[in-house]
Amino acid sequence: MSDPVQSNPSANKALTLATKPFAPDDEAALREALKRCSPSTFEAAVQFRKTGNADHMPAVVIGVIERFVEPDLRSKLKDADDDLRLIEDLGIDSLTMMEIVILVEDVLQLSINNDELRNLRTVGDVKTFIDCKIRGLPLPRPTKFLPIELIGAVMPVQPPFLFLNEASVSSTGANGKYKITGQEFFLQGHFKDNPVMPASIMLEALGQLAVLFLLEGASTEPGKVIGSNTIFFTGCEGVRAHRMCKPGDILTLSIKPKRMKMPLATFEGAIRVGQEKAVIAEDITLTFAYVESAVAPAAINGAAQPAPEGDNSANPPLRVAINA
Amino acid sequence: MPRVFITGLGFITSIGNDAASVASSLRELRHGFELYPPFQKPDIACKVVGTVKGFSTDSADPEDWTWPGAYSIKRETIRSMAPHGLYVHCAFIQALADARLQEAEVSNRFTGLYAASGGSPMLTYYHHERMLRLGPARCSPLGIVASIVGTLNFNLVAAFKIQGASCGFSSACASSAHAMAYAFDDISLGRQKRMFVAAGEDGNFSAILPFVGMRTLSLQSDPNLASRPFDAARDGFVGTGGGVVLVLESEDEVARRGVTPYCEILGWGQASDGYNVAISHPDGTGSRSAMENALAASRISAAQVDYVNAHATSTLIGDVSEARALKAVFGEMGIRPAISSTKALTGHGLSLAGAMEVGFCALMMRGGFTSGSAHISKLDQACEGLNILRATREEAPRVVMKNSSGFGGANVALLLRRN
Repeated sequence: MSDPVQSNPSANKALTLATKPFAPDDEAALREALKRCSPSTFEAAVQFRKTGNADHMPAVVIGVIERFVEPDLRSKLKDADDDLRLIEDLGIDSLTMMEIVILVEDVLQLSINNDELRNLRTVGDVKTFIDCKIRGLPLPRPTKFLPIELIGAVMPVQPPFLFLNEASVSSTGANGKYKITGQEFFLQGHFKDNPVMPASIMLEALGQLAVLFLLEGASTEPGKVIGSNTIFFTGCEGVRAHRMCKPGDILTLSIKPKRMKMPLATFEGAIRVGQEKAVIAEDITLTFAYVESAVAPAAINGAAQPAPEGDNSANPPLRVAINA
Repeated sequence: MPRVFITGLGFITSIGNDAASVASSLRELRHGFELYPPFQKPDIACKVVGTVKGFSTDSADPEDWTWPGAYSIKRETIRSMAPHGLYVHCAFIQALADARLQEAEVSNRFTGLYAASGGSPMLTYYHHERMLRLGPARCSPLGIVASIVGTLNFNLVAAFKIQGASCGFSSACASSAHAMAYAFDDISLGRQKRMFVAAGEDGNFSAILPFVGMRTLSLQSDPNLASRPFDAARDGFVGTGGGVVLVLESEDEVARRGVTPYCEILGWGQASDGYNVAISHPDGTGSRSAMENALAASRISAAQVDYVNAHATSTLIGDVSEARALKAVFGEMGIRPAISSTKALTGHGLSLAGAMEVGFCALMMRGGFTSGSAHISKLDQACEGLNILRATREEAPRVVMKNSSGFGGANVALLLRRN
């Protein structure tokens, strides 16, 4: 059997919202479609359909996602930040994603191309995506997930001084994880018989994530590419360590760009362990420069050039696996 | 060749939703028929169905369904099921507990699953109609795997993490007998150590009503008279649905695990009528050959068989055809095994029938009784000379022949022996 998820070129056009008035029949159909969602989801959908106000959209989308998540995982969605991952954190597989899409299409009266879905990996991706659809804005670049092999391939820093195990980079920031193994060479002396991750190294890890953002996520001037050997640390401010981090702890790192103007880029950064704050840095500033040649960057920087159809090596597409 | 045993059973049927209640219905000849509400309309001639109780699966949306609280099933698992997928899933849980199987014994490359299902006409229609009305992009991504004939094997293999052989069988009312037969072969050839045989039918409006068009359903409105195989006044079969799971294991596994099997499967045979797409050969030639092939393959003489669980569905032609085949195999040699059709109690389960009735025979062998052929007030003349049990005999059969026949004149006979 052929792959049933085919692209539909017409669906790439900007969304045209239904302009016809919201009739009682529509409300009944909407109530039926959302019968397993919370009452507030239904209310938000009614308001959206009546007014076209996109502010109601996040409540609808989150309400629809919640309805398809197993009850024991729903609490995660309650106080979710936008980095909550659909597959890994919420157990949503590609088939469930299709169910979510079909219901969202039905409720918000929009049509979503299957190819547009392939990079929706987090709750934030979904919200941004739908918002852009409704407002007729260009779609944002998708969040890119980089396993350790890809991080190693692009970063100027290498083991044993690379403190990222995995990372995701979007146009608005980057997130990463690092597990303190206890085998790090500096822990032998920091401290004697009491291995504690140095705060300076944690700051280094945030800096490395910012480097990754510059190389993989940052919007640059057209045709310009940041050279990986041009990025250096210049300063930081407002650094506070809140918690000792020891072998076995998994550091959850995040950075967001605050200002970016050649040759300086300033970020805010934070490290958590589970829900506990570990390190805050109000400002981390790096210098960078563009490389002369405007040659397209390495293959993983799919954002700079559209990935050819079917090239899914870095970002597995949202496709229904078919064995038939 | 390794011997093969039945070590676990699970039932969701019109006569009970667990082995104990099914066994007592069989022993006490308690039928599972009701006036089926969707059929109580002037333009529907058929009235009676062998209904599954304790479940509600009328909606095309699995999230509307209800089932007994003892079974916990996630949305993710149920969303791709047909109604009979739910029945069989519950029967599977029973069979695992009955056979006392651990997770590792279920999920390995030497444990497989064969299934028999007629698909889900209700869901096929529902999804097809939606596709025509709303366009293919609005179709449920799981509509196909919930609807087509392989739905049972797809769902069960995924839900129970089966890693050995898996396949579905489609020979209409002989389907699950074929599934039993080839599961037996896989173990006796040493390919698998353990096989699940799963069979199910929706048994609802969309699955049963089309048989009115074939003029094969009983039009009786009295649930006590509608299904009466071998009776002179029978007027067609009564439809039923449900789900059954049997666990088959090699003798090595039985010994290693120290479980007590219900019975041994000795072997099987099959043959086809080569006659008509839907009508049995009047002399039961294919059925006769299937029984003779089964006896030869099992190295058993006809004289050793003391009970035949007949295919007999209560149709005019089918019951006589099988009666003639039984006379040819046994009667001509003066052998008179007890014969009954438990379809008098359950109705005809179509793809479910063969495996369900093998399960019934296993219950009889363990429970020490032979179920009678219910609802016969005047035996059809064509059946005279056969030892058709009119009441339950409080004695377990020792060697059982189980007959099944399907459209196209496919016939299967399985032989079972009490331990």
